[in-house]
Amino acid sequence: MTFSLNMTFSDLLLLLPEIFLTCWLCVVLIVDFSLPRLPKERLAYLSVAGLVATLGCLGWFDVNHISGTLFGNMFVLDRMAIFFKVIILGSTILVILASIEYVNRFTLFRGEYYCLVVMAALGMMFMASANDLLSVFVSLEFATLGFYVLVSYLRDDLASNEGGLKFFILGVFAAGLLAYGISLVYGETGKLVFSDMTSAQATPGLIIGFLLIFASLGFKIGAVPFHAWIPDTYHGAPTPVTTFLSIAPKAAAFAILLRIFLVALVTFKPLWVSFLVAVSILSMTYANIVAIAQRNIKRLLAYSGIAQVGNVLIGLAAGTKMGSDAILFYILAYLFANIGAFAVVIAVSQAIGRDEIEDYRGLNRRSPFLAFAMLLFLLSLAGVPPLAGFIGKLYIFVAAIKEGLYTLIAVGLINIVISMYYYLIVVKQMYINEPMDPSPIGVSGPMKAVIYVGLAGTLVIGIYPQPFTDWVVSATLMFSNLIGPSATMIPPSLPLGG
Amino acid sequence: MIPLSAYTAVSAVLFMTGLLGVLVRRNFIIVLMSVEIMMNAANINLVAFSHYLESMAGQLVALFIIAIAAGEAAVGLAIIIVVFRGKISTNVDEMNLLKW
Repeated sequence: MTFSLNMTFSDLLLLLPEIFLTCWLCVVLIVDFSLPRLPKERLAYLSVAGLVATLGCLGWFDVNHISGTLFGNMFVLDRMAIFFKVIILGSTILVILASIEYVNRFTLFRGEYYCLVVMAALGMMFMASANDLLSVFVSLEFATLGFYVLVSYLRDDLASNEGGLKFFILGVFAAGLLAYGISLVYGETGKLVFSDMTSAQATPGLIIGFLLIFASLGFKIGAVPFHAWIPDTYHGAPTPVTTFLSIAPKAAAFAILLRIFLVALVTFKPLWVSFLVAVSILSMTYANIVAIAQRNIKRLLAYSGIAQVGNVLIGLAAGTKMGSDAILFYILAYLFANIGAFAVVIAVSQAIGRDEIEDYRGLNRRSPFLAFAMLLFLLSLAGVPPLAGFIGKLYIFVAAIKEGLYTLIAVGLINIVISMYYYLIVVKQMYINEPMDPSPIGVSGPMKAVIYVGLAGTLVIGIYPQPFTDWVVSATLMFSNLIGPSATMIPPSLPLGG
Repeated sequence: MIPLSAYTAVSAVLFMTGLLGVLVRRNFIIVLMSVEIMMNAANINLVAFSHYLESMAGQLVALFIIAIAAGEAAVGLAIIIVVFRGKISTNVDEMNLLKW
C-alpha cells in the first residue's frame, strides 16, 4: 500500500463537506466563548446553518455525479457515501432543533453541546466514507468519543452518568475487539482496503478477525448478543442524545457493514448468510419480546430499535443489490419515524418531566397533535400501510424472498405482530385511558418543525415512494454486479469497482 | 530470528488476558486497563505482521491505535470521576440504577 500525500486541489474537493463542517465547528466554538451572553439557541441555529450548507454541498456532488477515492483508497466518496452522509446530516439537524429547549436542563457547557453533536456528526460522515480498516477504526472512534461525553452530559443525574459509563465500557471493549480483528485480517491478507481483500482465502485467522470486526460493529448497531448497553444508555442519556444515538451511528455503521459484507467478503457469502440470519432472528425476537415488559417509553423505543436493526440485517443477509437498496430505504423510513417518535417523547417529558408509558395516559386530550403524531410514528415503526415503515419492511422482505430466506421472513412476520402489540399499548394509553392531569401540553416552535418533518417524511415516503426508491437504487449502483440469483453463482474472482 | 508465531502467541495471550479482565474484574479502572491490554495485543500483532509482510501499513495502524487509546482513556477517566462523585464507588456491581 502506498500513501501518496501529493494531493491536488480537485482531490481535496471530495473532502469539501468535511473540511467545511470542521471549519464551521470551530466558528461555532469561537462564537460560543467569545460572546458568552449570546443566547444558546442562536448557537443551535448557527450549527444548523452550517449543517444545511454541508447538505447543499453534498446535494451538488450528487447532482453532478462527483465521486472518487482519496489517500490510497482509504476515503471513498461514492453515491452510497453521499446517501449516508445526507441521512446523518439530516438527523443531526433535526436532533439539534429538537434539543433547543432541552439544553436548558444542562447546568454547564450548554454551548459545547452543539459543538459535540456536530463533531459526532463529522465522525459519522467519515464512517460513511471509510473504505479500509484503518479509516473504519479511526472514524468509528472519532464518532463514538463524542457520544461518550454526550450521553453523560447531565452531570448531576446519576442515571445519565451510569448510562454513559456503561456505554463507555462496552464501547471501548468493542474498540479493543475491533483493533484485534483488524490486526488478524491484516496479518492474513496483508491488505487494509476492502476492495483488495476479495481474493483472500477463508483461513481461520481471517474468519476470527472478521467475526471480531462484526462483533464491534454489532455493538454500534445494537444487534443481539451485542445489545447489552442499548436500553440502559438510551434510558440514561439526555433524550435528544438518545434520538441521535438511535439513528445516525446505526446508519453509519450499516454503511461500513455494507462495504465489508458486499465488497470485502462477497466471495464468502455462503459462509456468512446463515450467520447473519441467526443474528437477525435473535435481534428481532429477543427485542420484541422484552419490549412488551417495558414501562419506560425510552426503553421501549430502545428495544424497538434493536428489533428494527434485526429487520435491516434481513436485507444484509440477502446480500444482493436489492437487499442493499432495501437497507438504504429502510434506514430512510426509520429515520423519520424514529426522530418523530423521540421528538414527541422530548416534548412530553419537557412538560411532565418523566418518560414512563403511564404518563402518556390521555395524551389525546392534553395535546391531540402530539398524540396523533406519536400514533403515526409508532404505526410506521410497526409497518402499517400506507406509511413509510410498511414500504421499508415490504422492500426488505421481497429482497429476502428473492434469495429464498423463507424462515427469516416467517420469523420477521411473526415479529411484526408481536411489535404491533407493544406499540398499541402506548396508543391505548394515549387514546382510550383518561388523563390523570388534563392540563394541555404546549409544543415549542422548533419541536413542532421537527415533528412536522417527521410526519411529512413518514407520509410522503409511504404514499409516493417512487423518487426515494429511485434514489436508493442509484445510490447502490456499485453493488449492481451482485445480481446473481444465489450465492454460489458469484464467481470467486469478481472484479469489484468502487 | 524470532519466528512470527512467537509474536502472535504473545499477542493472543495478551488479548485473552485483557478479555478475561474485562469480563471478570469488577472495578472500572481495571476494566479500562484490560481494554488497553487488548489494544496493545493488536499493536504487537500489527507491528509483527508489518515487519514480516514488509508493508508499512500495519505500523501506521498501530500508531493510530495508540493515539486513540489515549483519547479514550482521557474521556473514560473523566466519566469515571463524574460517576465516582455521585456514587463514591468505581465498582461495576453498584451501577444498578438502570435495569430492564
